[in-house]
Amino acid sequence: MAIAKADINLCKGCRLCVGACPVDAIEPLHEVNKKGYEIIRIDENKCIGCGMCYVMCPDYVFTVE
Amino acid sequence: MAIRKKPEMINQQVGWCGGCGHGIVQRLIAECCEELGLVEKTVQVVDIACAYWSIDTLNCDGIAGPHGRCAAVATGIKKVRPEANVYVHAGDGCSYVIGLAETCYTAMRDIPITMIVVNNGTFGMTGGQMNPATTLLGDKTVSSVKGRDEKAAGKPFDMLKILETFDIEYAARGALYDTKHINQTKKMLKKGFENQRDGKGFSIIEILSPCPTNWKMSPVDSMIKLEKENELIFPVRVYKDRGGEK
Repeated sequence: MAIAKADINLCKGCRLCVGACPVDAIEPLHEVNKKGYEIIRIDENKCIGCGMCYVMCPDYVFTVE
Repeated sequence: MAIRKKPEMINQQVGWCGGCGHGIVQRLIAECCEELGLVEKTVQVVDIACAYWSIDTLNCDGIAGPHGRCAAVATGIKKVRPEANVYVHAGDGCSYVIGLAETCYTAMRDIPITMIVVNNGTFGMTGGQMNPATTLLGDKTVSSVKGRDEKAAGKPFDMLKILETFDIEYAARGALYDTKHINQTKKMLKKGFENQRDGKGFSIIEILSPCPTNWKMSPVDSMIKLEKENELIFPVRVYKDRGGEK
């Protein structure tokens, strides 16, 4: 089954994906990436591969495959 | 399950602020051009404003027009290269305030280009000044520090109401505050590019977009403001679809 993968180096910490996920599989973290933005993590057990995070993300962090 | 991957037309990281709607608009444009097979023929015309980032990021021909004159530059390109897929990616300050004459005359001539206007209710790159056409009443900006006042600055105006009275092919407004509306906006953009490919006429698509940096809100709160406040003044719908009959 397809699941979402995140390239957290591109993330800018806007948290729009957290609200767009229908199964609450995206968890906001307080860790930061190289650019200094707070990142997210995908719970692979919960993800259903619907692609809503891909549609919402303005920075192209997500790939669904 | 369908594989969803960043379009190959986007070959660099984006430069906009976190939560900016321009990134979503740029992805929708790239997806539409790839799905219609128009990447090789595409010429983008961007504005000297936030939209300028897309000239570096997208792997296609492009030119930056003077601020506000994007529609006039695109008209020139379309006249000398009628086979090219010319689109304008501009903001509301460019299209509705500084370049209102250029936008109206392009609509009046019915040039077959696709114009994409990102309506974020402020002048984004210059630091968040009030936009006479799209800033809502009571919104605080750096040039209306106590909130926009009707007596001093007038009311915001739905510019697509003017543009639909011209003899143009397509006028519509989309929004970016949830995934349903993003998918709806993509259909509108695709329709705009198809109208151009078939030589039907001028298509304008306005997109309601958040500007968290200049609204001084979190990206999530600015999406809520977009849905609860901006959409009441600027309704999301198709204003005009001529259907190719001239």
